[in-house]
Amino acid sequence: MKTCVTGPLLELNKAVPSFEESGLPPVPFNMRLMPGDCVFVDVYDISRATTFADVCSGLVPLESGNVQFMGLDWCRLKEKEINSLRGRIGRITKRRSWPDFIPVHMAIMLQQLHHTTVSQETLLFEASVLAEQFGLPGLPTVNPNMMSMMDLCRASCVRALLGKPQLLLLEEPMEGAPKELIDAFLRAVTRARDYGAGVVWLARGGSTMHRYYRQGVTSALRLTDNGLVTVRVG
Amino acid sequence: MTDFSVQQGQDPEELSENDSKHALDLSQRKEIGLSDLLRWIRRKLAWTGQTFRRHIWFFLIMLGGGWGVIFESLRVRSWRRTVRYEFVSTTNSIIRRGLFSTMFTGVLTGIAAVSQVIYWLGLTGLATMTGSILINIVVREIAPILVGVLLLGRNGMLSTTELGLLAMNGEVRSMQAMGIDPFLLLVMPRTLAFTVGGFTLGILFSFAALITGYIISRVSGVITASVWTFFNNVTSAISPSDYVAIPLKFIAVGFVVGLGACLTGLTATNQDTLRSILPRSFSRGMLIVMVVSVVFSLDL
Repeated sequence: MKTCVTGPLLELNKAVPSFEESGLPPVPFNMRLMPGDCVFVDVYDISRATTFADVCSGLVPLESGNVQFMGLDWCRLKEKEINSLRGRIGRITKRRSWPDFIPVHMAIMLQQLHHTTVSQETLLFEASVLAEQFGLPGLPTVNPNMMSMMDLCRASCVRALLGKPQLLLLEEPMEGAPKELIDAFLRAVTRARDYGAGVVWLARGGSTMHRYYRQGVTSALRLTDNGLVTVRVG
Repeated sequence: MTDFSVQQGQDPEELSENDSKHALDLSQRKEIGLSDLLRWIRRKLAWTGQTFRRHIWFFLIMLGGGWGVIFESLRVRSWRRTVRYEFVSTTNSIIRRGLFSTMFTGVLTGIAAVSQVIYWLGLTGLATMTGSILINIVVREIAPILVGVLLLGRNGMLSTTELGLLAMNGEVRSMQAMGIDPFLLLVMPRTLAFTVGGFTLGILFSFAALITGYIISRVSGVITASVWTFFNNVTSAISPSDYVAIPLKFIAVGFVVGLGACLTGLTATNQDTLRSILPRSFSRGMLIVMVVSVVFSLDL
C-alpha cells in the first residue's frame, strides 16, 4: 500500500456522509489538513464530533465525494488496507473504548501490538514514559473499571499518542482536566505536530482548546447543518 | 350492459369524448387491478422471505463465520500478537478453569453410568460387550454432549456476555476505528480456543469417567480384572473410524459452541440487553450441541 505524505494528510472533498448511517446532514463537507496542521472543529453536540471523526476515519459510508487519508481514498481500499491505515490514527473518543476484560496496559498497546512489529518491551517503555508525562505513576495494569474517569482520560492520551500516529482525532480530549494534564497534553500535541502529525481537535466552543491552544490552531471550522463553515480564530 | 350505439340528438363529438373517457376508466381499473395483484404478490414474497431469513439467518451467519474462522486461521498474517494473546488467554481460561468441573462431571458420570453399565452387563452375562458399549454410549455420545454443555455454560456464556457488551456499548466500533477487526481479534482466536478446549476436556472427561467406573466396579467387586485388562477391553472395542470420529466430535462441539457464543454476542444490537442475549445464546448453544451430536451419530 503506497501512502502519500507530501500532499494533504486528510482531505474531505465534497464528502456527503450517509444520513441513515451517521445522522450528519447530507451536505458536502470540505476540509484539508496538511502534515503538522491543527484544525479546530467547533461542534455544538459532542456526539456529532464522534460521528465526524468516524467520517475522517472512513467508518461512515459516503453518498458522494471522497475522504482521503495520506493520499488514499477510504472507499477504494480493501478491508485489510483500511484497517492498516486506521492503525496510523491516534484517537481520543467520547465513545466507550475500554473493554472491561482487557487490562489497561494491554488496551493502551493494543493498536500498536496489532499493527506493528515493534517489540513489546519497546512499546511498554514508550507507554510508561507517556503515562508518566500525563501524570500516571506508571502504566496501569488493572482493569478499566478499577480506574477513575480522570485516570482513564490520562490513559486515553497515552493510547492516542503511542507509536507516533500520523493523524490525531481528538474529541474534546481535555474536558474537565486539571491544568497539569492540559499542559502535558498540549506539549505532547505540539511534539506530534513537529514530527508531522495532523491534528483534528473537535470540541464545543468555549472549551480548553480556545483557552489554551488558540495560538496553535492552523484553522478553525464549525460543524453546522450546512457543512463545515470557516470561523475566525481569536 | 353498456350501449355504444349513437343515440338520437347526441353530438357525435360528445359521444366520442364519452367513449374515450369510458375506455380510460376501464384501462385504469385494469391497471389498478394488475398493480394491486403485483403488490399483493410482492408483499407475500417479502413476508415469506422475511420469515425464512429470520429463521435461518443465524445458521447462515454460523456457516459464514465458520468458514471465516477456518480461512483466516490458515493465513499466517492473521496470527498477529494480539490474536495470539487472545487465543492463549482464552485457551488457558477454558482448560484451566474448566478442568475441575469437567473432571468432577466425569467422575459423576463414571459413578452413575460406567459402573452401572459394567454391573448390569456382568449380571446379564454380556461382560464381553462392556468395552464396545462404553465406547459407543459414554465416549461417543454422552461425553461430547456433557463437555459441550460445560463449555457453553462456563465459557460460552462468558464470551457472549463480553462480546455482547462490547457490541452494545459501542466498543466494537472503537476497535474498528483503531483498525482492529473484531472478528479477527475476538471471534477467530476464541473459536479456536474453544476447539482446543473441547478436544482436551473431552478426552479428560472420558478418561475420568472410565477410570472412576472401573474403580467403583472393582471396589464393589463387580469386576476382578486389572485396570490394564479393563482398558485393553475398552480400546480393543474402538474401531479405526472411531479413532477419527471421537476426536472429531469433540473438536466440532468445541468449535460450534465457541463460534455460536461469540457470534451471538457480536451480533447483539442496541435494542438488546444481557437479559435477551444470554437466554438466546444458551438455547442456541444447546441446539448446536445436540445437532452436532446427532449429525455425527447419523453419519459416522
